[in-house]
Amino acid sequence: MTTMTNDIPVKSGASPAATRAAKDRRRALLLLSPGVLWMLLFMLLPLGMVVYVSFWTQTTFAVEPTLTTASWERFMSSPTYLSAIGTTLRIWLIVLLSTLFVGYPVALFIGLFVKNRTLQTALLVACVIPFWTSFLIRVIAWRPMLGTEGAINIILMKLGIISEPLSFLLFSEFSVIVGMTQIYCVFMVGPITFMIARIDESVIEAARDLGASFGTIFRRIVLPLSLPGVIVGTIFVSVMVLGEFATAASLSGRKVNLLGNIIVSQVGSLKWAFAAVAGVVLTIIITAVITLALRVVDIRKEM
Amino acid sequence: MQVGLLRPALALYAALFLLFLYGPMIVLAILSFQSQGGGPQFPIQEWSVYWYKHLLGLAETSRVSQLPVGDSLIRSLALAFLTTVVSVTLGTMSAEAFRTRFKGSGPVFYLIILGMMVPGVLVGLGVALLSNFLGIGRAWWSTSFVLHVVYTFPFAFLVMLAIFNRFDRSVEEASLSLGVSPAQTFRRVTFPLIFPGVLSAMLFSFTLSYDEFSRTLFTAGADLTLPLAIYGTFSVEIYPNVFSFGVLTTLFSFTLLVIYGLLMKRFTSRNKRFAGQEDA
Repeated sequence: MTTMTNDIPVKSGASPAATRAAKDRRRALLLLSPGVLWMLLFMLLPLGMVVYVSFWTQTTFAVEPTLTTASWERFMSSPTYLSAIGTTLRIWLIVLLSTLFVGYPVALFIGLFVKNRTLQTALLVACVIPFWTSFLIRVIAWRPMLGTEGAINIILMKLGIISEPLSFLLFSEFSVIVGMTQIYCVFMVGPITFMIARIDESVIEAARDLGASFGTIFRRIVLPLSLPGVIVGTIFVSVMVLGEFATAASLSGRKVNLLGNIIVSQVGSLKWAFAAVAGVVLTIIITAVITLALRVVDIRKEM
Repeated sequence: MQVGLLRPALALYAALFLLFLYGPMIVLAILSFQSQGGGPQFPIQEWSVYWYKHLLGLAETSRVSQLPVGDSLIRSLALAFLTTVVSVTLGTMSAEAFRTRFKGSGPVFYLIILGMMVPGVLVGLGVALLSNFLGIGRAWWSTSFVLHVVYTFPFAFLVMLAIFNRFDRSVEEASLSLGVSPAQTFRRVTFPLIFPGVLSAMLFSFTLSYDEFSRTLFTAGADLTLPLAIYGTFSVEIYPNVFSFGVLTTLFSFTLLVIYGLLMKRFTSRNKRFAGQEDA
């Protein structure tokens, strides 16, 4: 054995293990650089550009790189834009709560009450499959459901519950909330189910043997252990709802104006600087929400 | 868990939830068989495939203009293909890098994940502003393409990371130290282990890019992709041809899912057979 150790060439005092670790690190950085470069160039740089252009001078049909805060002043003094911030926050909060309350019992059922692994997977897949279909088609599918001559009104009238079609169902804030809840619910159900299914069965059995009711088991064991899932779901749903514009554009009949809709309409009329201001405001709101949620849970640890 | 009525109640609730998820698509599918004279709502005047013919350009001219699906479909497929190749490559390389501990792995992880979190309308605006600033024209194969990769690369990265976390590096090292060449080792050891991940990453990247809309809106320039062409019809009155399109594009996505399932099944059963041979 001693002869073998002597055979290993010693370079500049570094141990072979250290040389190898350094080589591995160099290789890792080399493998990583294309991806990181891509993200820096095509994600962070454009986002920086949004901040930069928000201070440019807006003329009728163009923007000029003369720095000014005029666009910000106009944005902050316009009731239309300010109310868009309010609408965005209101819709976000309502959709967040509705995805949570609609999704949680489903996650509870799949994660806790379905013991058969195959059935559990099948149910989860059934929830995820709509995510594979076109987003725009799922949005537009709510029109024949909710319209005055839509499926829901027809069913309710046939059942004799209402005599006149309900007109608030479509082209209102209601339709936007229903549509978004349906589209984004899966992002709440998935992470919560994942966390609940991971709970050790014996912990629950022990609690039951000690005489705990289901209410107590839920409150003391299931709910706290499912919270990381709730937070991950909250992050997913929040960033998607806050950046939304298509659902509001096609289901609200222009009655709901989110910050996303402001950006789209400003770009449409070549008001790039105003669009950029709305973009920066949106970024600030989203960053605040994610930071708040990440304070509660470390995603990397949970995955 | 014996809790009386709770279990059936929750089962019923889950069933209603699935109805909520699938209901609108089912109604849309039924209405796509509306007759020529019928509108985009009930009742069905007469069952027909008129709007499918209309969509494919087989119907005689009508007052409803045809959906511009032809060229935009080809663009969307080409874009999804390009996006898949690049994001799976980047995702695999980055995940492989993460098998080594290195300083700054936390920030890099979050930088990559940010790509799937940041709203499309924001990065779309950013890339449009940047291309204006640099005087580069916007097109689906350039500005839209780089953004699609920004979106799908994190998905591919996460899938590959999960795969690499699961398999032991010493398997590869054993092969290499037994004198198998690196190329052979990759083909016989590494690739079979990561293949399910590559397939899943491809499925994610392709479908997400094919359906992506908000990242394309400001960056595609004059030539539209499929989702943009569909979005253009939203602002005007909708006709059942949009529903027919919805059914066909959904069937296309499902076909991809089925192909994925079959490939996965074939692959796992082949692996089982291989393991069986070793036992004998």
